Amino acid sequence: MNLRTQLWLLAALGVLLAALGSALLLSSDAREAPVWALASPFMMLSFIGVGLFAWWRRPHSGFGALMTAVGFVFFLSAPMASDTPALYGLGYVFSSLYLGTIVHMLLAFPEGRLDRARDRWIVGGVYALVLGANLVLLLLDGPLEDDSHPRNAYVLVHAPGVAKVALGVAEGLGVLLAGAVIATFVERWRAATAPERRSLGPVLWTGTGLILGVGLSVGLDLVGAGSTVALVPDLAALACLLALPYVFLLGLGRRRWFAAGAIGSLIQRLSAARRTGGVREALAEALGDPTLRLLYWLPRDQRYVDLEGRAVELPADGAGRGVTEVRAEGRRIAALVHDAALLDDPDLVQAAGAAAALALENERLGAELRARVEELEQSRAGIIAFGLAERRRFERDLHDGAQQRLVALGLQVGMARAKLRDDPSAAGELLDGAREELRQAQQELRELARGLHPAVLTERGLGAAVDGLVQRATVPVEIRCMPPERLPNAVETVAYFVLAEGLTNVAKYAGARHASVAVERVNGHAVVEVRDDGVGGADPAAGTGLRGLADRLAAVDGRLEILSPPGAGTVVRARIPCASS
Amino acid sequence: MRVVLADDSVLLREGIARLLEEAGLEVVAQAGDAGDLLRKVNAHRPDVAVVDVRMPPTHTDEGLKAAAEIRERWPETGVLVLSQFVEEAYAVELLAGDAGGIGYLLKDRVADLERFVEAVRRVGQGGSALDPEVVARLLGRHRRDDPLAELTPRERDVLELMAEGRSNHAIAEGLVVTDRAVEKHVTSIFGKLGLPPTQDDHRRVLAVLTYLQA
Repeated sequence: MNLRTQLWLLAALGVLLAALGSALLLSSDAREAPVWALASPFMMLSFIGVGLFAWWRRPHSGFGALMTAVGFVFFLSAPMASDTPALYGLGYVFSSLYLGTIVHMLLAFPEGRLDRARDRWIVGGVYALVLGANLVLLLLDGPLEDDSHPRNAYVLVHAPGVAKVALGVAEGLGVLLAGAVIATFVERWRAATAPERRSLGPVLWTGTGLILGVGLSVGLDLVGAGSTVALVPDLAALACLLALPYVFLLGLGRRRWFAAGAIGSLIQRLSAARRTGGVREALAEALGDPTLRLLYWLPRDQRYVDLEGRAVELPADGAGRGVTEVRAEGRRIAALVHDAALLDDPDLVQAAGAAAALALENERLGAELRARVEELEQSRAGIIAFGLAERRRFERDLHDGAQQRLVALGLQVGMARAKLRDDPSAAGELLDGAREELRQAQQELRELARGLHPAVLTERGLGAAVDGLVQRATVPVEIRCMPPERLPNAVETVAYFVLAEGLTNVAKYAGARHASVAVERVNGHAVVEVRDDGVGGADPAAGTGLRGLADRLAAVDGRLEILSPPGAGTVVRARIPCASS
Repeated sequence: MRVVLADDSVLLREGIARLLEEAGLEVVAQAGDAGDLLRKVNAHRPDVAVVDVRMPPTHTDEGLKAAAEIRERWPETGVLVLSQFVEEAYAVELLAGDAGGIGYLLKDRVADLERFVEAVRRVGQGGSALDPEVVARLLGRHRRDDPLAELTPRERDVLELMAEGRSNHAIAEGLVVTDRAVEKHVTSIFGKLGLPPTQDDHRRVLAVLTYLQA
């Protein structure tokens, strides 16, 4: 049986019981029976009807079920109208139970759950009180009502004195509990955000009126004030009770009406907003959520940024924030991060986002631009740092290499000179050593110069320079692909350093048996790749080499990608924009 | 004269050791880093330690720090610091102490065997050796109201050699003049620069260095 059918069955049951209650009242000889015969089914069916409607609209919230329950609990007191003592007593026990259910419903609004332990204590207390007090009065033969009523059929002990004291205690407790409930309402109101207040407001305030009326009435009875004085809060409570389901409906309607107005004024505002950030303000105002934030989607980087272009993460689930994506023509352009209460109204937020889509796209472009500037600034700083590190490395290489060799060379020449006359053969040996030092110094200087910028790259292009790299590599390297034509100077240089650094890493860390390199033109990009069959697990964040590469690449708008699962080789891949000439 | 050598390049260390041995000095130990050097100086108490500036582990200024420590703990051991480059600041730092027996030379100087060996001997005997490049840079510095401008060319030559740490006799030999002539030049130079006269070679270097630095 689906939910709809179940709800219809409950509705039918409600109508049946309401009719039964009315019949009971009409058959009674109680004084106000005819009035109650109309009012009681009205109240019952109001709560059941609106409760079932809410249940149907939001089946996952327990609120609708609670409101429906209030309606059915009203019925439990219907037997009070009977002239039969046994039935009357039964009805009397349950005659105040509806207060417990209503407090339960109000404290559980709007989710239908009692999340806090304190709320559960209050609700439990009210239930115990409204059932317990009536039961005690019945059993001890206490005063049941001012009116004439049928004989009390359930007297256990005739002790009206004790019962009176018990009644006083119960009334005192009732006033305290009413105070606690109202305090909770006030507390919730103060903690609520603007959108939350919009949906809480009507029900919370009517509930406050109801509990206040009941509390005052009980309080007046406790201090012995005449029943005429108590009439005022009594009537107020009754009015609130009658109004409660309709006030709830009003709240729903008000949100609809609010939404229509919000979108209208949003569109007006957007056409007036020219300032940067004006869209956020307009949306915040339209949705009544001053904490609203806008995040802009960068499709190229697959991430969100704020208006300044700084990377931003979406809030985690359960952080009390809702996220609504805004799309235009099927493309994601932005996300609204808003109060979670607005998730009750997904249509409103969607509509607002759609209305603002054009303006959002404009701001998105601005944010994208700022993100790019930010990125370029970072890469520039990175390049400077990288350049300094490179200089230090070259100084160290010169110092420990060629310079050292030249000192040794000088030393040997000096010693050879000293021996020239007395020991020519020793002098000859020293000069042989000197020549070897010279050769090695020359080779080291050549290597160093090539590290700075290989001349063959400028003169003969990437292919020739890569041939040289491959020949000097420590493992066999296959050249899978190489464009036959020359690429722009900057592209060739960056590509060369990607390959050189990649092959250096293969030699140093990969433990590979074989490697391959490729340079390919794809969709206006040069895709440069070094692959090996080594140990993998390369970390781009560690080591200056790969980070330096990323900065060099960023300077020409390129991107570095490193795939290095442990044990499965490494792929270093760079994409460098390179329009076809 | 007994020498301890410290350089992380074995090749160069062996070369220098051979050169010093052939010149009649005794190389009692060689070290590859600063810690090793200090242990060997402590064990052998040589007349002089010849020390490379950059050594493991950090390859920065281990040699300078080791030199300072040797000067403090074993003042009777002279220290000659060798470096691929010379900086006035390091020179002043090294020679600042009152006592002699300190030198600071470019590594290239080892190619000129005689002058290098002479510098090692001088430092071993408690004198000083400052690289001509440092001296030239100090002298070449531009000053307002430069009293150096009042020096004759010959006096300038004498000042340079004096700043390198040479004795009057060595200066006389280098310039091919008599010892007496050098003494006269020195007196004149100290007069023109307003420095108090001193006979001690190292104090003389220090006075000139301080003057040039100011």
